[in-house]
Amino acid sequence: MKDKHETIDEVLAGYDAGRMSRRGFLGKMAALGVGAMVANAVSMSPLGAVKAFAAISGPEERAWELAKVAAAKATKKTLTLLIPTGSIGNMTPYVDKWKKELGITLEFIEEPDEVVHTKGMQEAVAKTGRYDVMMPTAMSYPDWIDSGVIYDLTDWTEKYDPELFNPDYGVVFPASHHAQLYNGRVAGLLNDGDQITLLCRADHLKNADKAKKFEDTFGYKLDVPKTWSEYYTLAKFMHDPAAGFYGSLEYRSPYYVKWMFMQRLVSKGRLYFDGEMNPTFNSEEGVAALEDMLAMNEFLHPDAFSFTWSSNYNAFGRGEGFMNIVWPSGFKYSKAPSTGPATTGNIAATVMPADTLKDGSLLHAGLFCWGYGYAVSKYSANPELAYAYAQWMTSPTISSDAIPYLGGYSDPYRVNHMLKPTQRLKDTYSPEYLQTLYDNMVNTVPDFCLPGGFEYQDALDKQVHACMTGAKKPKEALDDAARVFDRITRRIGKDKVKKSWLALAKNLAEPIKKAAGVDTW
Amino acid sequence: MLTKRLSLVQAVLMAMALVVVLFPVFWILMTAIKPPTDWNASPAIWFPSQPTLINFKTLFDPAAIREYGVGGVSQAATDAVFGSILASVTATAISVAIGLFSAIGISRYGNGSKSTPLVILSGRMFPPAAIAVPFVIMFSTIGLIDSFTGLIAIYVAVTLPFSTWMIKSFVDDLPREIEEAAMMDGRSRIGAHLTVTIPLIKGGLFATTMFVFILNWSEFMFALVLSYTNVSTIPVQLAKYVTATAGTLYGVQAALAVLAMVPLVIVGYLIQSHLARGMTFGAIKQ
Repeated sequence: MKDKHETIDEVLAGYDAGRMSRRGFLGKMAALGVGAMVANAVSMSPLGAVKAFAAISGPEERAWELAKVAAAKATKKTLTLLIPTGSIGNMTPYVDKWKKELGITLEFIEEPDEVVHTKGMQEAVAKTGRYDVMMPTAMSYPDWIDSGVIYDLTDWTEKYDPELFNPDYGVVFPASHHAQLYNGRVAGLLNDGDQITLLCRADHLKNADKAKKFEDTFGYKLDVPKTWSEYYTLAKFMHDPAAGFYGSLEYRSPYYVKWMFMQRLVSKGRLYFDGEMNPTFNSEEGVAALEDMLAMNEFLHPDAFSFTWSSNYNAFGRGEGFMNIVWPSGFKYSKAPSTGPATTGNIAATVMPADTLKDGSLLHAGLFCWGYGYAVSKYSANPELAYAYAQWMTSPTISSDAIPYLGGYSDPYRVNHMLKPTQRLKDTYSPEYLQTLYDNMVNTVPDFCLPGGFEYQDALDKQVHACMTGAKKPKEALDDAARVFDRITRRIGKDKVKKSWLALAKNLAEPIKKAAGVDTW
Repeated sequence: MLTKRLSLVQAVLMAMALVVVLFPVFWILMTAIKPPTDWNASPAIWFPSQPTLINFKTLFDPAAIREYGVGGVSQAATDAVFGSILASVTATAISVAIGLFSAIGISRYGNGSKSTPLVILSGRMFPPAAIAVPFVIMFSTIGLIDSFTGLIAIYVAVTLPFSTWMIKSFVDDLPREIEEAAMMDGRSRIGAHLTVTIPLIKGGLFATTMFVFILNWSEFMFALVLSYTNVSTIPVQLAKYVTATAGTLYGVQAALAVLAMVPLVIVGYLIQSHLARGMTFGAIKQ
């Protein structure tokens, strides 16, 4: 039996080829559940019916039309989503709509976020078909695509155009590429703009006594730090452990500490590998990054070595530090009076500090770390419906509505979220912070979104942590990590990882590519 | 009953050992009755200023904790508690029953070859992580994934070596002559085992049951990888109390941990005399 979607395509193509009358076309489209207004507009479009159907409406409407068709033909009326625990709040507001208007029950299977990748790999061998949509981070895509557990979404995105790369409301470049593509093909649709930015306490910056003392001591105005050097100076200046107030709260705990290193490394113009997959972090810049971190340890919150994101946010919200490096959710925590009693109304946010390159220029680089997205399971009974859900939820309009809901991890990722925000987005994040997110995101470097990405990242994390605890010297730790990296690369296959790495590296901001020498690879 | 006064040094060492053992229990109990503002306070709050049962209430009514401004809890623990009870009790009963008969067969009748006990134990020689994925594939193929039947089957398979070996050691230490005397009095072989062997190793059976139950009750990995939505257990549920608005819900986790401890404490208390005997059974060889 032909499915209805094929029939829609056939009807559109048939109409374009002149094989049916306008009246017949409208009748067939109505029978397929396409609204009269859409069908009418398509029938009269000078673009032709096929192109017009794709272009007549936005990503949300196109996804909804697809969802209607796919839902009508679906024998299984439940769409099951594998999601990380704690993320459900962005999705539950739409459960009723899908049930009432499409007859589709949205079922959520929540797993601890560190288990989602494993669950996906498990599904690759178990092939249960239990999941339709899966919500991993971008680091999972390479392994999941290679293991055949998720669809390459490119054909669907070309057909239904979620407008991922639209300059006005697409996903912000380069996250549009590094957080969604694998080897140039669309592996998932981003729904969470996870990047780290720097928060400072505005009330302390405005303190006249401190401002005067700072300017007198250092010769420039007290303000948010623009460079890592200024960051260190400010942390030292504000550090007052006797009062329970620390210079900064950045992480030194296992699992989180690698990101602190990766951020500093990319700020110094180094990426993780060169063009031949040789690790580049065990270099002069890498050692300097670790030495910077060691120097900062003196001015960190005493819990820095055990912080998780929630304990870190809580400590900052209680007013125990001047600066903090946070995901966008950290800003929300600090802004809300319930979770940020000491920080609400007192936050000055800024992009991650720049570093000075050897030629004396400043390089602004950010880190896009974690970041969930929707992928479609190869074993789904209704893959088109699953894709339609992913496109609909991540469309410029629905995502603007979904992100501000409490109880989810989703943060701004499309251009319109940050530069043309809705009132709810402004209320949630503030226009200034949304601008900061945009300014930071355009310079982000991704996690290890490569085959074996989690292995690389774990190896780096262990060695950076060993260095922070004093178990290893910076060079020793980085050389040890590099050896493990080489083993991982050899095991997975250099050509395979290299192909993926080059695809990632060529889609970064130009200044970062130039500093890292990507153009010469 | 023999009583012995402890020396001061012994008493101090004993007190230190108790502190080490009981401190986590104390901390869990206190956290379970703390309001969200106290869970992660710095400096730590030892005794909650305003004790509350909100964490326990949240276990069964996820929306309850919203009164403290904490959202995002979407699952009640009811299914997990029920799942843990069903899987652990059933699997323990089956494991101990099969283990008992296996132990008697091996100990008294030399069933199988000399290597049979080792073959049974070999099931425990693989790290669980190494056999988890094959089980996932196998169970998916035969339709046992995400089912209590599947979870109970794997719990029995995993704990059977323990129950067989533990009970075998108790049976080994029981003189055959007692069973033979019963048979001379007219009991059948089975009858002798039912009326003599089993009652005499009762303490060992209780100890084994308790041990196997604890293994099943606290098992995490198989429950995690073999479950989707139909099956949940307490250890898996514990890992799910993370929200975007409040991070890890330590108080709710602690409340569930307290609930998880309750059956173990009650059963342990009820059978403590048997446990003591079971633990020392066979300590003195014939």
